[in-house]
Amino acid sequence: MLSALYAGLFYLSASILVFGVVLRMAIYARTPAPLKIAQTPAPTTRIGVFWRMLREVVFFQSLFKSNKWIWVFGWTFHMGLLLVLLRHLRYFTNPVWFWVEWIQPVGLYASFALVIGLLGLWSRRLLVERIRYISSPSDHLMLALLFGIAVSGMAMKFVARVDIVAVKVYFLGLLRFKILDLPPDPILLVHLGLVFVLMFIFPISKLLHGPGVFFSPSRNQVDNPREQRYAPRTPAN
Amino acid sequence: MAYQVNGATIEHDEEGYILTLSDWSKELADVIAETEEIDMNEEHWEVVNFLREYYEEYQIAPAVRVLIKSIKKSLGPEKGNNKYMYELFPYGPAKQACKIAGLPKPTGCV
Amino acid sequence: MASPDMDHPEGPQIVADPLKVPNLAFGAMAEIKPFRAHPNHQEPLGFPGELVGNWKEVAIEKIGELANTNRAFRVYLDACVKCGACTDKCHYFLGTGDPKNMPVARQDLLRSVYRRYFTFAGKYFPKLVGARELTKEVLEEWYTYYHQCSQCRRCSVFCPYGIDTAEISMAAREILDTVGMGQKYCNEIIGKVKVIGNNLGLQEKALRATLEDLEEDLEDETGVSVRIPLDEKSADILLVTPSADFFAEPHIDGLLGYAKVFHQAGVSWTVSSYASEAANFGLFIGSQDNMKALCQRIRHAAEDLGVKRIIFGECGHAWRVAYNFLDTLAGPFDFLDPNYPVPQHILEFTLDQIERGNLRFDKSKNDHIRLTYHDSCNVARASRMGDKPGGQFEVPRAVLRAVCNNFFDMDRDTTHESTFCCGGGGGLLTDELMDLRTKGANPRMTALQRVTEDHGVTHMAAICAICKTQFSKVMPQFGYEMDSVVSVHQLVSNAILLDGQEIDGDDRVPEVADAGVT
Repeated sequence: MLSALYAGLFYLSASILVFGVVLRMAIYARTPAPLKIAQTPAPTTRIGVFWRMLREVVFFQSLFKSNKWIWVFGWTFHMGLLLVLLRHLRYFTNPVWFWVEWIQPVGLYASFALVIGLLGLWSRRLLVERIRYISSPSDHLMLALLFGIAVSGMAMKFVARVDIVAVKVYFLGLLRFKILDLPPDPILLVHLGLVFVLMFIFPISKLLHGPGVFFSPSRNQVDNPREQRYAPRTPAN
Repeated sequence: MAYQVNGATIEHDEEGYILTLSDWSKELADVIAETEEIDMNEEHWEVVNFLREYYEEYQIAPAVRVLIKSIKKSLGPEKGNNKYMYELFPYGPAKQACKIAGLPKPTGCV
Repeated sequence: MASPDMDHPEGPQIVADPLKVPNLAFGAMAEIKPFRAHPNHQEPLGFPGELVGNWKEVAIEKIGELANTNRAFRVYLDACVKCGACTDKCHYFLGTGDPKNMPVARQDLLRSVYRRYFTFAGKYFPKLVGARELTKEVLEEWYTYYHQCSQCRRCSVFCPYGIDTAEISMAAREILDTVGMGQKYCNEIIGKVKVIGNNLGLQEKALRATLEDLEEDLEDETGVSVRIPLDEKSADILLVTPSADFFAEPHIDGLLGYAKVFHQAGVSWTVSSYASEAANFGLFIGSQDNMKALCQRIRHAAEDLGVKRIIFGECGHAWRVAYNFLDTLAGPFDFLDPNYPVPQHILEFTLDQIERGNLRFDKSKNDHIRLTYHDSCNVARASRMGDKPGGQFEVPRAVLRAVCNNFFDMDRDTTHESTFCCGGGGGLLTDELMDLRTKGANPRMTALQRVTEDHGVTHMAAICAICKTQFSKVMPQFGYEMDSVVSVHQLVSNAILLDGQEIDGDDRVPEVADAGVT
């Protein structure tokens, strides 16, 4: 019963995540950019723009220029999250890919980085008056959600271990559309439940900044209006 | 929004520029100058008169430089300069003097 | 060199930090707003004269239209995570402390309404995500705070996603125009350009008289007949410059500089009375239709006069529009000489002439000036000069160094792409906003005071008509003279040596190179 419920939630949230994000990206791609609005100095070639985006996405270059505290916490959080997510690939691959195997210990420490980053961002949101002013309840809830996911995940590793082999079997089953038994461990259920919530809300929330950053015209446009006439297709109404 | 001159009501915009240019009179100029806290003397009138003459010919106020050149001719170099113009009209010869002369406000990046 | 502080007997000024973050001052600027456009300003632009009865439907429909036709608008409204990186980057926030002048808070005024009507979360959980109904109070709030943004893009430089508040502010103004709540200053001016050809309303006869007058001045000054041609068919170059260059100080001195450079370079050029305006306030109100109409006047003039090249004078947002949008909105310009970029900036032309060795200078003519340079926001963050990224910073400085011995840059955090707006950009250069303009100029003025303190800087050069006017109005409040702001080509004009020019009485410019090297 529990296994079936979680299987249902898994399929549903994964579909919403994938279709939602794909739909959003399709909308962004379809919406015309009627004019050149590159934020200069900007690269004058496509390759240059690729490197600019890479520096933004990997190193958060602009954020670094802007505010070192937000950068430290934001970058720590995101890199921690990335490693932790990659580490979780072992639950969905059999045999586990060699590099996923390789990052297992790193991913473990990354979970601490993730939590430290989160708490840093959250404390700024609470303590810095300017940022408190611009925060909505959802901004706090989002942090709470991520915090809950991180702490419940770490609890299973460091406090009350669960039968991760059974968890892996369950998820490998789901990938083949077979519903096997999920260990009824309360922390695990909380962890998975929160992850499903995160996947549900991803396409309808500010988490869209992930895909959105690639569509930002001020960053992804080539600065070459005099070299090459910019004549985008007319707006589709 | 209006000035009262000799019992007549003369409408102006948000900033005190009169709406109908033909409503202007010397008495009105004195009234506007009073609201601008300017005590009209001979030099003020020299500027106002030049602005009106120029406007009549060109439908616009002159460039500050052209105004100053003309004042230099009539009042001498010690008065024909930007600094003196701002002493006469602290909010700028182009804008404040135009208001008193009953001309529209110069628009744009000026 | 006399420091401006000498005029302030109250003692040595303590020069503050231009980046200092103020305490929040809630509602500090809530009452500051520009005059509303009258029906006769609205209608020629294609906008309703007064607030329409069904303003709510019209505004919401317009938001939807913008979301479907402008990728920046949609992505920027969706992507913000409220990280706070932009909160201390706006000069109006730094100058006023009003939290609604923080870029993200300014965006949120519109984002909250977009969320309410166009997102799932906003429709069903408005409180949770800070979504709100569109009401008349919201419209008024938009009118107030979207006219406290100079669309300078400084915030976007520091945003991890490049979210540009300028785009949101332009969109908001377009929505306001669409429901009949336009701003008088911008809309009256756009109307004048559409009818007369320039912001001032300077007609051909007056323009001709002004230019002839200036030619006289030039001949008196130099002894050389330097022309400022108007409507001359088949000239090689059409100069499109802000009409303030025909009218205001120190703008006119810049125009005289262009004329001298063209003269010495030996090129034929002309001003057009039909397209006698570089400025394009259609940008400020986010109206592509109006921006296009103004761009097309320039194309029309270029075709009509049969020129080969188009060069723009010193004007910040005009260069943004010309550089980025002119070809898209009024191109292709295949009738022009393909050997030159379309358009060119006057500084590109002048630097090229300097590098070719066609211009000679007596730099000592500018020795009474200790100079710094204000990067105009639109040039710095929304355009380029020359071939390489960042040329918009290097080209003006190269020209200044060629004509002036004493040049000092302000703090790097306040120049180049991090430059501060003058405080009067984006359609805010109007008297009723003087309080906002003065407060918004504070960060730039503080940075200037620092180089005055450290290097005895007396003057600041700018390449934007708005910057020049704004600074000449606000600088006296910061201990400077109103003529402490100068045109870049004014300094070129001071130092350039024309062939046959009189120097010190009867002497003529000698035929020796590098007269300016001392």
